[in-house]
Amino acid sequence: MAQLSYREAVAAGIAQEMRRDDKVVFIGEDIAAAGGVFKTTEGLQAEFGKLRVRDTPIAEQAIIGATMGAAMTGLKPIAEIMFSDFFAVCWDLVVNQIAKTRYMTDGQCSFPLVIRAANGGGARFGAQHSQSVENWAMAVPGLKVVAPSSPADVKGLLAAAIQDPDPVLFFEQKSLYGTKGDVPEGDHIEPLGKAKILREGSDVTIVALAAMVRRAMKAADTLQNDHGISAEVIDVRSLVPLDTTTIFESVSKTARLVTVEENPRLCGWGAEVSSLVAEELFWDLEGPIVRVTTPHIPLPSADALEDAVMPSAEKVVAAVLNLAD
Amino acid sequence: MDVLMPQLGETVLEGTVAVWHKGAGDSVEKGEMLLDVETDKAATEIVAPATGVLSTINVQEGETVDVGTVLAVIAVEGEVAAEVAPAAAANVPASDAPASVAAGLPPKSSGGKISPAVRRLLKQHNLDIADISGSGRDGRVTRHDVLDHIDSGAGAGSSAATADRIEFDRFRKITAEHMVRSKATSPHVLQAIDVDFTAVDAVRMRKKDDWKSDKGYSLTYMPFVARAVCLALAEFPKVNASVDGESLLVHKDVNLAIAIDLNHAGLVAPVVRDAGSLSVSGLAESFNDLATRAKTKRLSADDLQGGTYTLSNPGPFGTLFTAPIINQPQVGILSMDAVKKRAHVVESEAGDAIEIRPVGILAHSFDHRAIDGAYSAAYLQKLKAVLEQSDWSQEF
Amino acid sequence: MNTSKGQLATAIENAATPDSNTRLELYRQMQACRMMEQRAYDLFMQNLIKGTSHLALGQEAVAAGFGTAMRDDDYTFCTYRGHNHTLVRGVSMTGILGELMGRECGLLRGKGGSMHLMDVEKGAMGSYAIIGAHMPIAAGAAWSAQYRESGQVAVCFFGDGTTNIGAFHESLNFAAIWDLPVVYVCENNLYMEYTPIGEVTAVPNPGADRASAYGLEPVLIDGNDADLVYAVAVAALEKARTGGGPSLIEVQTYRHGGHSRADPGKYRPDEEVAAWMKRDPVITYRQRLLDDGIDAAAIDAIEAEQSARVDAAEETARNSGPPPLDIADIDLWADGSSTWRN
Repeated sequence: MAQLSYREAVAAGIAQEMRRDDKVVFIGEDIAAAGGVFKTTEGLQAEFGKLRVRDTPIAEQAIIGATMGAAMTGLKPIAEIMFSDFFAVCWDLVVNQIAKTRYMTDGQCSFPLVIRAANGGGARFGAQHSQSVENWAMAVPGLKVVAPSSPADVKGLLAAAIQDPDPVLFFEQKSLYGTKGDVPEGDHIEPLGKAKILREGSDVTIVALAAMVRRAMKAADTLQNDHGISAEVIDVRSLVPLDTTTIFESVSKTARLVTVEENPRLCGWGAEVSSLVAEELFWDLEGPIVRVTTPHIPLPSADALEDAVMPSAEKVVAAVLNLAD
Repeated sequence: MDVLMPQLGETVLEGTVAVWHKGAGDSVEKGEMLLDVETDKAATEIVAPATGVLSTINVQEGETVDVGTVLAVIAVEGEVAAEVAPAAAANVPASDAPASVAAGLPPKSSGGKISPAVRRLLKQHNLDIADISGSGRDGRVTRHDVLDHIDSGAGAGSSAATADRIEFDRFRKITAEHMVRSKATSPHVLQAIDVDFTAVDAVRMRKKDDWKSDKGYSLTYMPFVARAVCLALAEFPKVNASVDGESLLVHKDVNLAIAIDLNHAGLVAPVVRDAGSLSVSGLAESFNDLATRAKTKRLSADDLQGGTYTLSNPGPFGTLFTAPIINQPQVGILSMDAVKKRAHVVESEAGDAIEIRPVGILAHSFDHRAIDGAYSAAYLQKLKAVLEQSDWSQEF
Repeated sequence: MNTSKGQLATAIENAATPDSNTRLELYRQMQACRMMEQRAYDLFMQNLIKGTSHLALGQEAVAAGFGTAMRDDDYTFCTYRGHNHTLVRGVSMTGILGELMGRECGLLRGKGGSMHLMDVEKGAMGSYAIIGAHMPIAAGAAWSAQYRESGQVAVCFFGDGTTNIGAFHESLNFAAIWDLPVVYVCENNLYMEYTPIGEVTAVPNPGADRASAYGLEPVLIDGNDADLVYAVAVAALEKARTGGGPSLIEVQTYRHGGHSRADPGKYRPDEEVAAWMKRDPVITYRQRLLDDGIDAAAIDAIEAEQSARVDAAEETARNSGPPPLDIADIDLWADGSSTWRN
């Protein structure tokens, strides 16, 4: 085991796969010589050379288009979109080209590519650099969507994403870059499509993603210590493919569901999970399903404002208490 | 041809299938008895609307559905059997009915809502939510409450060794609920008065044999008491009233409900509308009609609604007096117990003497929110006076 | 960085007439395209082709010229007006017509339609319906070829309208800075869709005038001259294949019909149409071959052969049934499924 930060785990995951397979290449803005604006990819160009790790101009459409072209002709490219908000700049290439082409062409080619992006708020960057957009990707057939919450999962899930034969959008939560955790040394792969139960409980299921996982765990502590409520916390980790089995097993045990997400109020990933549970586990439920989300606004930049609008452990506790008998 | 849940009363919105007399696949003839349906204590027989084969039964015994729901389908020769959606709630046709009525489980007696998880457990274990106390917020029955109830063996005959378990049928459940609610609603006061039925008997004895042979049923004390009640209520109208919030609704007519026992299997109280306009013989006829229909399950829901005062008559069993429970939303109920020959002091100018007289005790429960003891006592005094001093031959 | 300025201009100047076999091949490809597109027009009028289609009647020399010059393992990327560019890679005409008609024998079994023709085995890496999107994708294929040192070249066809969209500019710059082996071919048929290109472009030659912005040699040729197109194609492919980097080539041409089947093209002046019809690439090339002594019988044989080929393709496609319904939810993922949950 090594103690790595979340950002170090990114480079570790990429390096692991680049060592394994020389078809893996990596491009993006300021990712090579500078090691990434968030210092997530330091050392990669030094180890793998300028042909495999390349800096690009500021040209998201070109970056993602080239990634697609390379993926359909034998390479396994990784691209970085610096801030996930910028996906909007090249969204055509992601959703009209990458996501649809295999299907439209009767399966003639596949796209073993990964696009990683720094996602989410909490860093006081303002609305155009703080949104969590994994829900945009979840809504598009043909894209796999992953969002790790810990350094170990960064390395393991990124490795799996790089190995995956399909397009994977890998969302790193920027507010977590500095967090540290144990990461297995050597070969480490975490499968896509598997949620993780981080804490077992019997009274309510709390499903969270990425940066919200810690807040859910903190809420679970408070609920147990101060209110005697036993919460089961699930880190969903992978939105597509979605581990409905784990979530459903949990909710049928606890009969209550709360989701915690950074997406704005409408059409976040929590809405989809809630809807699936409401439809398929209706008769198991003791109370309404509650989503704890950011309100339906862009994120404000001042620290006091941003902290006030993002979901917090306190808000999760309040939501659960409201559900309690 | 569809067999629909009928509307058993103007303001009735749903009904329960009580008994199917035919099974799926049986032949039926038009007019043949098909099933019994019940609403709040009224039961009605439904006959087959056509001759054919009962192809599907959509609503099972014990299920409650909205008026208009397709209960079953009769395949009539030559008719194409249409696809019937299973027991879907239909739109309620009643003119001033609310938009929708929940079908499914009977209303819970605990406060709060029934969650899907609780609903399912109740159905799976054949439990009535009224049996389970709710520990949830606002008295809600929670999933754990149901599970604890099951675990405690309450639903599973744990006391078989020392007692036989008789599940409450729908009548019993409804009666139990009404009685508890009535006591919880009205502060009951019992007041009684004894009545000398000599004047009544002077007429009744003369008439009863012919009455019996003409009409086929007996002329009892009851219509006399009912007549006296109507006359007394005309002078003491506040006894013929209902409490509505912080007002008393004094009803213009006396709609007299009479308690009828159905062979110890339940109690109904059908109503004689505008009883004050009827004579003793009219009342006797009405009582007999209601009793007959009650016992043959042909009361309509409207027969059971709108009562303003109730008369209960356990007298035939020889009881002394009874403290009856008010039939909400009324404010008074009168029990007439046995009329027996008693040694009774009769005053006269010649002095006091003890005579054998037919005497019965009328016991009145009243709601002390509405009236006070003196008012009720005055009413009873009037009642006694009417009974003891009227010329009852005028009523025939 | 491009160090051989004027390389392509030189090739144009020195362009030798291709040998007879090549010329007959060029003619064969043009007739195949011409006849197939005309048949597609007829089938659309008979309501056997649904939706929309964008025919390249009148622009055959471009596809034929490059198709003949390319290596089998080169990549092509084209637009929704790409039936010809796909056909000249050796893709089945039956597959193309079948795809247009939504039949099981279609190239994509009816899953993609007219605007998304692809045959990976033949290097036809797709037709793309979003203007400009395929330009960076072509750059990516070229990058892959460069990385793998395979010597493959990507050729990317697009129209004059594409030169004003963001992806065009990003792709040229990207390809230029990395010296990618990609040839960008701008088919200027004078109309963006319904609007004359001159009205919406800041420079007179939408392709050639942008080249220098990306350090590339401006190239502007008559796209209806099959020999010339062929010569330029050979030169550009060679340049790319030998590490010389990308090219941007503007070929001037004209479409005989409207933008799509819905468009009768009435916005074009009659004199303009008439003038270009006189420059019909197929008819003029036929005449040129005869003038240059190519055997008429060989020419006739090609026409008969391609005519029979189109008839056979149409017949097979007509007799093919609709695709099986159960292919509707397959092949979202590499494993053939479309499952998003467990």
